[in-house]
Amino acid sequence: MTTNQEIVSTAPPVNLTINGQPVQGRPGQTVLEAAAAAGIHIPTLCHHPALPPEGSCRVCLIEIERQRGLQPACAFPVAQGMNVRSDTEKVIAARRFALQMIFSERPHYCMFCQVSGGPAETDCELQRLAYEHGIDCWDYPPDAAKPWPVDASRRYFVMDHSRCILCRRCVRACAAIAANHTLGVLHRGTRSMICADDDAPLGESSCVSCGTCLQVCPTGALIDRTAAYRGHAVTGRRTRASCLGCAVGCGIEAVTRGNQLLRIDGDWTAPNGGLLCVTGRFEALDSGRHRVTTPMLRRNGALEPVGWDEALTAVAGRLRTAAGVGGLASPRMTTEALVAFTCFFNEVLNSDEVGLLRGEVPPLDLGATATLADVARADCIVIVGGDPLENQKVLGYLAKRALDRGARLVVVSDAATGLDDRAHLRLRLDSVAHAGATPFELLRYSYHLRLDGISQLRSQIQTAARPVVMYGGGLSTAVHAALRALPDKTRFLPLIEGANAAGAARLGLAPRPLRQEVLYVLIGDDLPNGHALPAADFTIAQAAYHTSWTEKADALFPARTWAEKEGSFLNIEGRECTLVPILEPPHHIEPDWVTLTRLAAAMDRPFMLGAISDNADSPLARPKEATRPS
Amino acid sequence: MKKTLASDWLAGCSGCHMSLLDLDERLLALVEHVDLTATPITDLKRPAEAGVDIGLLEGAVNNSSTETVARRMRRCCKTLVAFGDCAVFGGIVTLRNRVPAADALRRAYIETETTVDGRIPRDEELAVIQPARPVGDVVAVDVCLPGCPPASDAIEHVLAELIAGRTPSLKGTLLDWH
Repeated sequence: MTTNQEIVSTAPPVNLTINGQPVQGRPGQTVLEAAAAAGIHIPTLCHHPALPPEGSCRVCLIEIERQRGLQPACAFPVAQGMNVRSDTEKVIAARRFALQMIFSERPHYCMFCQVSGGPAETDCELQRLAYEHGIDCWDYPPDAAKPWPVDASRRYFVMDHSRCILCRRCVRACAAIAANHTLGVLHRGTRSMICADDDAPLGESSCVSCGTCLQVCPTGALIDRTAAYRGHAVTGRRTRASCLGCAVGCGIEAVTRGNQLLRIDGDWTAPNGGLLCVTGRFEALDSGRHRVTTPMLRRNGALEPVGWDEALTAVAGRLRTAAGVGGLASPRMTTEALVAFTCFFNEVLNSDEVGLLRGEVPPLDLGATATLADVARADCIVIVGGDPLENQKVLGYLAKRALDRGARLVVVSDAATGLDDRAHLRLRLDSVAHAGATPFELLRYSYHLRLDGISQLRSQIQTAARPVVMYGGGLSTAVHAALRALPDKTRFLPLIEGANAAGAARLGLAPRPLRQEVLYVLIGDDLPNGHALPAADFTIAQAAYHTSWTEKADALFPARTWAEKEGSFLNIEGRECTLVPILEPPHHIEPDWVTLTRLAAAMDRPFMLGAISDNADSPLARPKEATRPS
Repeated sequence: MKKTLASDWLAGCSGCHMSLLDLDERLLALVEHVDLTATPITDLKRPAEAGVDIGLLEGAVNNSSTETVARRMRRCCKTLVAFGDCAVFGGIVTLRNRVPAADALRRAYIETETTVDGRIPRDEELAVIQPARPVGDVVAVDVCLPGCPPASDAIEHVLAELIAGRTPSLKGTLLDWH
C-alpha cells in the first residue's frame, strides 16, 4: 500500500462527497481513509489502520450512489464524483444488524471478559460499538449451551474462541506484520475457527509469541495473562519508551497503573511499526524475580543487608587497598551509566581494566548503514554470519516481511540459521572470503577455485535495487574486505548483540577476559543465562535482581530495572534510543551513575562526569546537572 | 390510578435488587407513582396472580423452578422487564454451561474441598437442572435493562418511562452492561 501511494502521489486528487460534505481523496485511497482524513467518522470493527483491509464485519457499510447494495468503506476505493452516505437510516440499520449477527454467533458474555467495561472505559471495540448503537439485548441469542474451546497452551497469552468475532485481524497481523503465517481460518461459514498451522494447539505451533495478534485483537478473545483483570488499558497510563531487550531498540508503549507495569505494546509510530518479539513484549514483564532492595555485604559467608553508608565505606576501603580492580558492565547499561563506569575506573581507580560482560559489535565501517525500514523494503537481503531470527528477532521478522514481498535471500554462514529454509542461495563463509584479502589468501582461494561464492553474491546484489547486508560478529577480515567491495548501493546493518553494545563500543568497551584481585560488575537487571562471572578475590556488584551472579558477590548495591531507568542507548542502526522511566523505582534505589559517584566520594576522590563530554547538551553530560542524593 | 409493579429473582445474586434500593430517596418518589405489590425484598406481598402493570425479573433461567417463576411473572404482568445482565444475556450463571451438568453437580456437592461424604441431592420435589439462559429464551420480554448490576440511574429511567406510558430506550452512559 505504501508503494502504491508513492506512485500515485503526483496524480490529481479525487473529488467526492461524503454525507453531503465535499471531500478530496487521493487515487488508491479507500473511502474510509478519505473520510478519516476529512474528519468524518465511519465506525469500523474488522479494520485496523496497520493492516490490509478485509471487509468481513460489514460494520463500515456505506451507501454509494449508483452502486448496488451497501459497500464496505474500508475496502472500497474512492472515485471521481462519488456520492457517499454513511448516515442514512438504511446504513445505520444495516450496521446494527451486522453487530447483532456478530453477537448471535458466539456467546459474548461481557461480565466475565477482561476487556469489558462501561462506555467510557471498555477495551472491547465490539462492546463500544454496541453501546454506540444502543444495543441493549441480543436480537438473536447465541446457543448458550454450545461449548467453545479455550487454547491456553501458550505461556503468555490465551485464546478464548467464544469471544472471537472472526475479524481476522490476528490472521492479517501474523501474515502482514510479523510475516510468520501461523494463523489462518479453519472451515467456512458458521464453522469458521481461527487456527494455527494445520489446527495445532498454539503452544505447539509455529507461533513465535510476538504478540502482534494480541495487540490488534478488538475483543477479549486473546487474553494477556499478565494484564488481564488488572484494569482497562484505555484508562491506564501510556508511556512511549524503548525496549532494552536487544540492540534493535524497538519503540514500545508501556501501559501502567499504580506503578505496576501491565502490558507492553509495540509503538505503531516507531521504526519497528508496532512489531515486537516475545522478549520485548512478554519476557520484560515476567515477574517472579527476587529484587535487591538494600545494599548487602558478605559476613560469615552470607550476604546481609546493611545501610548505604556502611556498604559504601566498606567497598571504598576494599577498593583503596586492592592491588588491581577490573570492571565489567552489562550491555543493558545506558550510555550514561557506562560513561560513569569508565570515568570511575579511569579517574578514581586509575585503571583501564574495564570491559563488557557480554556483547558483540562487528566493525561498523563496511558501508552505508541500513535502517529498519530499509530491511522491510529491501529486494535482496544477505545475512552473513549471524542469525537475526534468533538474536535480533524483530529484524528477522522484518526480513521475512521483505521476503514475502519477493525479496531474495542469501545466507552466508557456516552455522544453521533460522532463515535457512527461506534462502534462495546458501553459501559458506570461506566461499566469499577471497576478494581484497592478502595476496597470500588470494592465492590460496584462487588455487582452490573458491570464486563461485563471491561472484554469486555479487550478481545477486548487482541485480537488486535495494540490497541490504546484515552481518554478525566474529567474521574474518577477508570476509569484511569482500563485503566492503560490494556495490555502493548496498546498505549494511551490523547484527550487534547486547542492547547498548554499540554505545559501549563507542566508549571503547568490549567483552574481555579480566583477571584482577577485585571485580566490579555493573549488572543492572541483566540475567546470567548460564554465563559465569570471572573469578576474583572480592566481587562488587550493582544489580536489580538476585541471580547466580549476585550469589558470588561480596558486596552488593541495588540497581534500577530497565523500566525505572532514564537515559539512552545506541541501537543497531546507530540511532540513539531514549529510555523513559515507566515506573517509579523503590525508595533508596539510585541510578547506577549516582551509586558510582557516591562511592567515589566515599573514597575521597570525587569525579566530574561532565568533563568527558565536550557538548553540554549531550546526554553524556546530563548526570553532572542532576542532584546528588543526600 | 397508580400503576402496579412486582419483581422476582431467578438465578441471580440479588445485586440488581440492591441497585434498585440504591435509588435511595428517589424510592419515595417512585412509590408515589407506583404500588410495589410483591418483591423478594419487601415484607408485604399481594399475590402476583392479581396482575400487575410492570414485572421485573432478575437472574437467568437455570432450572425447572426458575423457569416456573419466569412463566408465572410473564402471565401476571403487562410489561416484562429483563432486569440485569443475567436476565438479558444469561450472565455469569452461563459459566456453568461450559461443563456438562453432571460434572457441575459433582464439583458442587462431592468434590468441594470442604465436603466430606458428599452426595448429589435427588428428590422429585427438587428442581431439575437446565442450561442457564436469558429470560428472553423462555418467555417474551418487552424491555431489556442490562447492567451488572444496572445503575440506579438506568433503573430510574426505565421505570419512569414505563410509568409515563412510554417505551424506554437506554442511551449514553445509561447503557452499560459490562
